[in-house]
Amino acid sequence: MRQAKLLKLLIVAGVIVAGCGSSGTAAPAAGASQAPNTGIVGGKVVIDNESGSTWSCQFNPFNPSVNLTSVGFIYEPLEFVDALQTNADGTNKVTPWLASGSTWNADYTQLTFTIRSGAKWSDGSAFTANDVVYTFNALKADAALDVNALWNSNGGPITNVALQGTDQVVITFSAAAQTYFYYVADQTPIVPQALWSKEDQTKLDSFADTAPIGTGPYTMANCSQNNIQYLRNANYWQSTASKPVPQIAEVDYPAFLSNDPANLQLSQGQAQWGAQYIPNIQSYYIAKDPAHRHYWFPPVANVAVFPNLENSLLGNVAVRQAISFAINRSEVSQRGESGYEPPANQTGIVLPTYKAWYDASLDTTKFDVAKADSTLEAAGFTKGSDGIYKDASGNRLSFTIKTISGYTDWDSSVQVIQQELKAAGIEISNVLDEDSGTYTTDLQGGNFQLAYGEETGGPMPYYELRQMLLGSNIGSTNYSRYKSADTDTLFNSFASSSPADQMTIIHKIETVMANDVPVIPVVCGVDWYQYDTTNIGGWPTPDDPYAAPAVWSLPDNGVVLTHLYPTK
Amino acid sequence: MNAQAELSRPGAAPGARSFNDAGVRLGKAILRNRKATIGLALLLLITFVALFPGLIAPYDPHAAIFDQQIGPSSGHILGTTQVGEDVFSQLIYGTRLTLIITVVVGAITTIVAVLIGVTAAYIGGMADGTLSLLTDIFLIVPTLPLLIVLSTYLEGSGTVAIIAVLCLTGWAFGARQLRSQALSIRNKDFLESARVRGERRPYIILVEILPNMLSLVVANFLGSAVYTVATAAGLQFLGLGNSGEITWGTMLHFAQQNGALESGNVFWALAPGAAVALLGTSFALLNYAFDEITNPALRPARRRRGKSPA
Amino acid sequence: MRFVIKRLGLFLVTLWAAMTINFLIPRLMPGNEATAVLAQFKGVNPAALHALQVEFGVGLDQNPILTYIQYMGNCLTGQFGLTAARVPVMTVIMQGLPWTLGLVGVTTVIAFVAGTVLGMISAWRRGGSLDSLLSPFLFILTTFPVFFIGLILLYVFGVALNWFPLASNYSIGTNPSFTLEFVWDIISHATLPALTLVVTTAGGWIYTMRNNMVTTLSEDYVRMARAKGLPSWRIMVDYSARNAILPNLTGFAMQLGFVLGGSILVEYTFSYPGLGYLFFTGTTNHDLPLQGALFLFYTLAVLVCVLVADFATAVLDPRTRDA
Repeated sequence: MRQAKLLKLLIVAGVIVAGCGSSGTAAPAAGASQAPNTGIVGGKVVIDNESGSTWSCQFNPFNPSVNLTSVGFIYEPLEFVDALQTNADGTNKVTPWLASGSTWNADYTQLTFTIRSGAKWSDGSAFTANDVVYTFNALKADAALDVNALWNSNGGPITNVALQGTDQVVITFSAAAQTYFYYVADQTPIVPQALWSKEDQTKLDSFADTAPIGTGPYTMANCSQNNIQYLRNANYWQSTASKPVPQIAEVDYPAFLSNDPANLQLSQGQAQWGAQYIPNIQSYYIAKDPAHRHYWFPPVANVAVFPNLENSLLGNVAVRQAISFAINRSEVSQRGESGYEPPANQTGIVLPTYKAWYDASLDTTKFDVAKADSTLEAAGFTKGSDGIYKDASGNRLSFTIKTISGYTDWDSSVQVIQQELKAAGIEISNVLDEDSGTYTTDLQGGNFQLAYGEETGGPMPYYELRQMLLGSNIGSTNYSRYKSADTDTLFNSFASSSPADQMTIIHKIETVMANDVPVIPVVCGVDWYQYDTTNIGGWPTPDDPYAAPAVWSLPDNGVVLTHLYPTK
Repeated sequence: MNAQAELSRPGAAPGARSFNDAGVRLGKAILRNRKATIGLALLLLITFVALFPGLIAPYDPHAAIFDQQIGPSSGHILGTTQVGEDVFSQLIYGTRLTLIITVVVGAITTIVAVLIGVTAAYIGGMADGTLSLLTDIFLIVPTLPLLIVLSTYLEGSGTVAIIAVLCLTGWAFGARQLRSQALSIRNKDFLESARVRGERRPYIILVEILPNMLSLVVANFLGSAVYTVATAAGLQFLGLGNSGEITWGTMLHFAQQNGALESGNVFWALAPGAAVALLGTSFALLNYAFDEITNPALRPARRRRGKSPA
Repeated sequence: MRFVIKRLGLFLVTLWAAMTINFLIPRLMPGNEATAVLAQFKGVNPAALHALQVEFGVGLDQNPILTYIQYMGNCLTGQFGLTAARVPVMTVIMQGLPWTLGLVGVTTVIAFVAGTVLGMISAWRRGGSLDSLLSPFLFILTTFPVFFIGLILLYVFGVALNWFPLASNYSIGTNPSFTLEFVWDIISHATLPALTLVVTTAGGWIYTMRNNMVTTLSEDYVRMARAKGLPSWRIMVDYSARNAILPNLTGFAMQLGFVLGGSILVEYTFSYPGLGYLFFTGTTNHDLPLQGALFLFYTLAVLVCVLVADFATAVLDPRTRDA
């Protein structure tokens, strides 16, 4: 099971978050949520997350292989977008962070951040708006750093980033760019100009950054292959004399190569913040101290079957509908994911996380083998003597499916799907496991029939649906190779629309998902999260989802760290 | 490890023999040797299971219809998998593919080893030099790392890919042994007389040389099978096999990935491991016995004068 | 002299072959290091892809022969570039090396010594209980998959008895230091992996040593020694074992390839962060620079050992020099 989580871990740059809504609203005070601050400093939190490799002791926040140990702890973004908390209109709750606020111009082509004064880098020097301007321009100088393609020279919308006055940064876009707020404000950690400008500016993506200096709540005190020790940043900008932040004195982040020892550590109560898949979590973890141990797995993205629409059989919508009817999603959830990842639905809206966007009247393609049969028969398919449907010219509904080797929960899910499709007269002839690099290349190049996979998504359904369905994403994230001019128009008008219009747009796209079945969502990927309240309080909970709770949700991890406090 | 044993084996056969003679002698020898008998019995048992899994297994190995990951019980003597399949049924049905991979790889590597080894020895000269060099290279390049590198290239193509990479990397050992034995009988009288009779090369190799090397060829097949059982399972254990097909190696992979040992579902991991070990043992016993049969010096009972290591 | 040149020639040709295989395979595969890095972010940004390709020196339309020459040059000078995590490959290898070196080195020596001595005694007391029971049993063990032995030991001594830790090279959260406590921590973590490797390799040494001994024991010079009434331990060690051990020396080198392969499985089973584990993760993460460098490293290690063993055998046994 480790692998499905690893995927998340690797894509951290994209997982959670953000809002397109403007955050020009009056910013809450620093420290954001209303968590109780007990005024006590002390205690230690040990993180428990199977990282799959030992630490390289590099902390470059733009290096996706190591940023899970630096973003949130050491480096921080301008504003924090909470994927798990939405306003009534569906937009995400936004908390100012290194910026004290931001405003869009009327047509959403210019975004102005007001930079917080008084924050310091951990070496004692002052954090200024110049650092912000520098960071964004560094992304332009080294394209490999700009993985979210923000700059127009890299295919994105940003044309200019400039200082205005002494404390404002103006970002200019070539077109309406509301949806880029998430990438700019939440997904771009700010680095110190004084130190970073000394490096080769065209190779910043491979800068090792072994002695990181950031604005974050923690500083890196000690790093070995097996453990990183973080100590409280005494000069943290959120901290005041009466309300010290962060309150936890020390955080340890051990490297676990595999799932079992990581689970053992949690089970023995030696770690407080888990991000683990644990088989039989009730008996193995919770039951050992039910009063203090808890888990919460909030769903954040779809795990889906991607049909290759360029395949002549899968190009037929009846076949795709039949597949969607034939999959018993609850069964896949139960057997493939031990019930931890809940069933998904054909509209593509992840529930309950994004329920504000969900139109139940469109969610009609449920598990129903009889309907799978009637759909295929109506489209002229007949069942052969081997129990598998074939078309008029005798082509059997037999496909291979690609998945990522080592993602054993996906392997299990695919096994269940294989059996279910077989019962509905559709054959999966072979399960092809590929390493993630080959798999991604094959999916992007259309070299597959069916594939089991997931997108990175974003803080609201727009991001994931756009990745899956936008025509110009063929070759990158539009694995199914779905092309529809109407759908493209819907996506392209989203960034300039009002919240109400955005809601209408997403409902129309749900209709596309339900009718055209370009992607077949099966279960929902979740944030793995266990927490122990014996000595530590302030954890995110379903009742107070102030941040995505997984250790590898960046920069949410930093928000969590500023909320925790010692209870003893 | 067998290389040294081979080197000390009395190389030359006394005179020309036919396949039939050699086969009969071999068969009798196997029945007289205790290790060989046990090995053969085990192998026959495993073959029977591979041929008729339906007679033994209580359930469809793919039927994910039971409680998930439960320990051994009366309904499931080895427990169930993470998706709720019966482990025992998987073990039984997994026999077939495991055995097929073993036998096919053993056969192909032996054939390649014979072709390359005997040809090199018989033709000599440049051909021998080139083939021997190729053999040496494949002997030295560490096998499992090479297998892993190759299987990432062939991944997604399933069992055929595993067989292909195992064959590609597994022939060299036998080729070297067979070459040295072929060299030692190259100048025997009976071959000379065949040459004088005007027989063609393929005839000489097939009819005159091979029967005299039959025991070494069989030993080679057995050695290769022992090696294949463990290596194929190792690759599958690492997750480099085809997860959609049931073999003992893929069962181990899923058991390990789902913490079978730690969560009390021990037999899910240990049973397929033991099965792999049993199959390996059956081939190894035959091989062990074979060394004794063909090299009387190694027999436990009476002493006999042998040759010094070459 | 001819012998030396011949062996050196084989050394160079094999090295060249391994390097060429290493060059070809990644280039025949779909994708490359840059796409593997970017696969971490699903949305591929063409500009970022190009920048990464320049950095990794892959995926660009270059003259393949020129690339090949450049690659060979880099290999020979030890420049293996960056891993997909953008850490210098050599740095990563140097982190893993001591652990594997310790594990494989110590276990190989233990297995070799124990196996050779047991094989010697087994042949000397032919038909005794050691010869008829223990030796065959240990030989059968060598045919067991390495990871199966590992899993059994892990279960019995790790899970059930809880005598040894289940994974890693030293305890989580401890900092490396030169204290007795830390050394003990390292030893207790290495015990089960090491035991696995010893159990699966010792039988092979016993088997070959015994068979070689059996052969030499029937030699005329041994009979002569007996006839002269020399003490039996001298006959066993000085006359018989000395000659029987020669083929084992070559075996020692060849065995290293087998043990290195076994160490990959053992390190995976015990999550032991040595080279084998790195090789495995390099493979599953499509981290081709790391995988390639380690493959070369393995080949080189075996080659050097074979070469040393060849020369050692040649010095000890003049007959081989003419072979």
